[in-house]
Amino acid sequence: MLASFNWLKEFVKIDQDAKTFGDTLTMAGTKVETITPVNEKVKGIVTGKITKIENHPNADRLRVCTVKFGPNKALPIITNAQNVYEGAVVPVALDGAIIDTGTQINASEMRGVRSEGMMCSVKEMGLDTSLFNKDATQNVYIFPEGTESGLDVRELFWVDDQIIDIELTANRGDCQSIYGIAKEASAALDQPIRSIDLYESAAKDSEIEKYLKVSVKDPNCKRYTAKVFKVNKIEPSPVWMQRKLLNSGVRPINNIVDVTNYVMIELGQPLHAFDYDHIGTKEIVVDRVDDPAFTTLDGEERKIDNQMMMITNGEKPISIAGIMGGLNSEITNQTHYMVLESAFFDKTSIRTTSRKLGLRTEASARYEKGSYAELCETASLRAAYLLEKIGACTAVSGMIDIYPNPEENYQIKVDCNWINRYLGIQISEDEIVSILKRLFLGIEILDDATLLITVPDERQDLRIREDIAEEVARIYGYDKIPNTLMKGSTLIGQKTASQKYQEQIESFLIGAGFYQTMTTSFTSPKMIEAMQLDGSETPIKIVNPLGEDTSIMRFTLAGQQLDLIAMNHSRKNPSGRFFEIAATYHENANEEDLPIQKNHLVLSMYNDGDFYTMKGVLEALLRNQDARFEMGGRDLFHPGRKAVITIDGKQIGDFGEIHPVVAKQLSLPKRVYLAELDFDQLTELNADYTVKYKNLPKYPASQRDLAVVIDKDIPAIKVRDIIHAHRGDIIESIKLFDVYRGEQIPKDKKSLAYSITFRHSDRTLKDKEINKVMDTIVSELQTKLNAQLRDE
Amino acid sequence: MNRDQLDQIKNEFKEKISHIENIKDLEELRVQFLGKKGVITQFMKGMGKLSKEERPIVGKKANEVRKEIQDSLDHIKGDIEAKILESRLEREKIDVTLPGKPCQCGAHHPLNIVTEELEDIFLGMGFSIVSGPEIEWVKYNFDDLNMPKDHSSRDKQESFYYQDDIVLRTQTSPVQVRTMLSQKPPLRIISPGRVYRSDEIDATHSPVFHQMEGLVIDKGIAMSDLKGTMDLFAKKLFGNKTKTKFRPHQFYFTEPSAEMDVTCFKCGGEGCPVCDYSGWVELLGCGMVHPNVLRACGIDPEEYSGFAFGLGLDRIALTKYGISDLRLLFENDVRFLSQFK
Repeated sequence: MLASFNWLKEFVKIDQDAKTFGDTLTMAGTKVETITPVNEKVKGIVTGKITKIENHPNADRLRVCTVKFGPNKALPIITNAQNVYEGAVVPVALDGAIIDTGTQINASEMRGVRSEGMMCSVKEMGLDTSLFNKDATQNVYIFPEGTESGLDVRELFWVDDQIIDIELTANRGDCQSIYGIAKEASAALDQPIRSIDLYESAAKDSEIEKYLKVSVKDPNCKRYTAKVFKVNKIEPSPVWMQRKLLNSGVRPINNIVDVTNYVMIELGQPLHAFDYDHIGTKEIVVDRVDDPAFTTLDGEERKIDNQMMMITNGEKPISIAGIMGGLNSEITNQTHYMVLESAFFDKTSIRTTSRKLGLRTEASARYEKGSYAELCETASLRAAYLLEKIGACTAVSGMIDIYPNPEENYQIKVDCNWINRYLGIQISEDEIVSILKRLFLGIEILDDATLLITVPDERQDLRIREDIAEEVARIYGYDKIPNTLMKGSTLIGQKTASQKYQEQIESFLIGAGFYQTMTTSFTSPKMIEAMQLDGSETPIKIVNPLGEDTSIMRFTLAGQQLDLIAMNHSRKNPSGRFFEIAATYHENANEEDLPIQKNHLVLSMYNDGDFYTMKGVLEALLRNQDARFEMGGRDLFHPGRKAVITIDGKQIGDFGEIHPVVAKQLSLPKRVYLAELDFDQLTELNADYTVKYKNLPKYPASQRDLAVVIDKDIPAIKVRDIIHAHRGDIIESIKLFDVYRGEQIPKDKKSLAYSITFRHSDRTLKDKEINKVMDTIVSELQTKLNAQLRDE
Repeated sequence: MNRDQLDQIKNEFKEKISHIENIKDLEELRVQFLGKKGVITQFMKGMGKLSKEERPIVGKKANEVRKEIQDSLDHIKGDIEAKILESRLEREKIDVTLPGKPCQCGAHHPLNIVTEELEDIFLGMGFSIVSGPEIEWVKYNFDDLNMPKDHSSRDKQESFYYQDDIVLRTQTSPVQVRTMLSQKPPLRIISPGRVYRSDEIDATHSPVFHQMEGLVIDKGIAMSDLKGTMDLFAKKLFGNKTKTKFRPHQFYFTEPSAEMDVTCFKCGGEGCPVCDYSGWVELLGCGMVHPNVLRACGIDPEEYSGFAFGLGLDRIALTKYGISDLRLLFENDVRFLSQFK
């Protein structure tokens, strides 16, 4: 909220400059965002009363005015403004004055007649033109009737003021007012606060019942007060009222509306004024009613349903409670009698209605943040005082006050020693008491340093002892609380095995040239379809997504990787390798439980190697597990270039080249490789792995080569499996070193050449033993795979 | 056979060796003189014919000549080898300014770098790292954290829902609830992770972003401990000269609550565009854990107290590296990613 520094100073003595004061408030818990002067340049502009207007002898459009400044000074001022009249009080920049832009105004001769200055517009005075109606800004500004002449506009209109923008926390509804902030300033500065003048009735009898009856049928209205006024004259409000509204960012309208706004800003209580005659029924009812087309003050028609709290005249709605009044009971220049509402409505009810209607007002915002019952009466009496003071109205004696369940003041018991312990400070009971008194809390000292604190109605945020500790801390000063290190139990901070494993995998992949990516968790049904994965899984749908493109939670990391490869490719980045370990989200078969979240590891790559490059990376990544790669995998991949990866019989992922159709649809480079693994499962499998050291071999190894010719469609892993099955304790390693297809073998065949290393850990192997194993392997290859030895 | 003959052999050797230029010729020369059938060997074999008196004298002389030849051979061999080495070194000279053979090297994502840096600091202070589901019970995300029933952050305009009672977590705090429900104090945990809010994406907002929260629960934890721990954290993160400032604030989860500013890491507090010329940068929100939260998690506030803190990881990454647009973090352009090696 915006707070005028000048206005605050009317309530509290502030010796600090605005910036220091801002820091003081911030450190005491009222956060000051910015401090902005209204205008620092303007000076020498004075109010002047025009006593005579004559035509300029030598110019048709110019007028020569005689302007009085105070009782004894009159000067000729020439103007081309057509809106000035004899008797008008206007701002005049006299010789040497400076206007808003910094330009100096000098006395000068205009077509042979001397002018001692220039009449000014709103803008030239340094004020915000958006807060005045258009007519007032396009001409010379004319002050409200009764404004004295000879006054410095800088002081009169508070051009010298500084506007403090305050960010209020959600729990301090009571600070949504100048007086609320002033109370905080009073506590922070340890200065007394000035009290507010209220209306006091001279009449003994209450007359109001003759005019009005109020009934409350909706429990969300906790208190409803009404006061009736006879309207004397509707006119602009005096400058001292307007300047405060202006510096609070509110446009002055007329004396009645201005008073309701003034009190709302000053005390935080939204007020509403009804035209009494237009209510028509002498009755006000707070109720819930339907109205398909209720016209609010702004001229909009709104659909009211029976969940919304309304003010009615017993027959039809006249206002949306706490949000905006109806056009049917608006104050106009013809208003004779006025009803002033000052009520306390429940914040949830106001918020729900405001949301439903898409209508947020100053009033609704204040109710939403939380108001309090006690304020209704004070605000009404304050408004009555002001309305009479500026001569706008005369109050009808008495007030209607419907307040069925008055709030009891809340009490909290708190131990001063506990406060000290909780905050980690050492201050005396006296100091604590004095701090709490500065905050307008009622204190009763019980025995043993225990305080019984009575919380005023406006401090709805103070309910438990921890709240009191905070009050003490912020006024004492957070900066005075020492910095200590935690005592108590020692705890070991370390990563878990699975966190370490993840770290290890990341390092490995970075070493292998992969960049870690970070992608969004959302995806679209369109993307799933483009990847040919629709139907493979029911995705988690968000009820209220930002849009179709982010409407589901990803169950695969592939989409984001393909997206980013397409982006990199379109930006002409020549190649890339990427990886990410991140969450995927899956439906839970148990509908009572949360969706399942699994971490996946995804690798992707383009223009930087082929299928076997990626397979090599995967093999190295899975080196500690017995991973198998076999034909298979999702439809996302090229049907002839994809593999599923299994460990201990469990499928943990798949990889391959992206299907040409998918690649085309997603504007990918021609060949993109992608692997996706269930990282949680992998982590679990790895948990069993520990490095086991073996002694270095003492006995020599023998190497045998084996080249077999088999049908070209038989996967190499079948050959390896057969060799591997006979490893016993003598085959140390099996390496495929050549794959050949060509002239020397039949067209539908291929040749695979293996180098097999034999070694026994305890003795030197004999040729006979090795030959025996080789023979068995060969014969099994022949019978099972119809293989032929290449060198036969 | 006499000493003159030996002199003759010596002179012959000297004459021959002076023409030798390579190891092969040198070896031939050695064989010719010192080999089994070499001149010296032959000479020595013939010494048996000499008289008893002559034999030792000639023998001595012969040995001297042999040694002389041997030394000369060794010496020349050394010279030749040195020459060979020299010419090899000369021949093998390369242009060291040619580029090396490429060795692939990727990099961590900047957000990950920042996260790990923070994790390391807290691990060193005895914290453990815990995580939890991103699609979370409303109860854990709001109710148990003392969030009022009608608070706007629960609205569909502000948070993403899967079901009425399941929300995409808006903060990593539910992890704290889960930890308190499943473990007994003392507790020291941090929970970095992904959170969601219904914000349209722009240079400073994203519906998906990252936070790290921390929680300490033990007997006798005071607000001064919160201040001390956070101050130490800031010094470890930004350097020993860093100062911290705690401003009162309000969070439902904590009471009292504070926001912590640190002296601007760019200008050190002098004032610069990064800190908006204030010298301070807002780093985190924190406070003493609200007794309602403790109770909701089965911890007795009479026995235990604690503090919690939370900070935005994305924003730290942006400020640390001077990245102006949050969207760059999620875009994954190679030219961006390759800068964080």
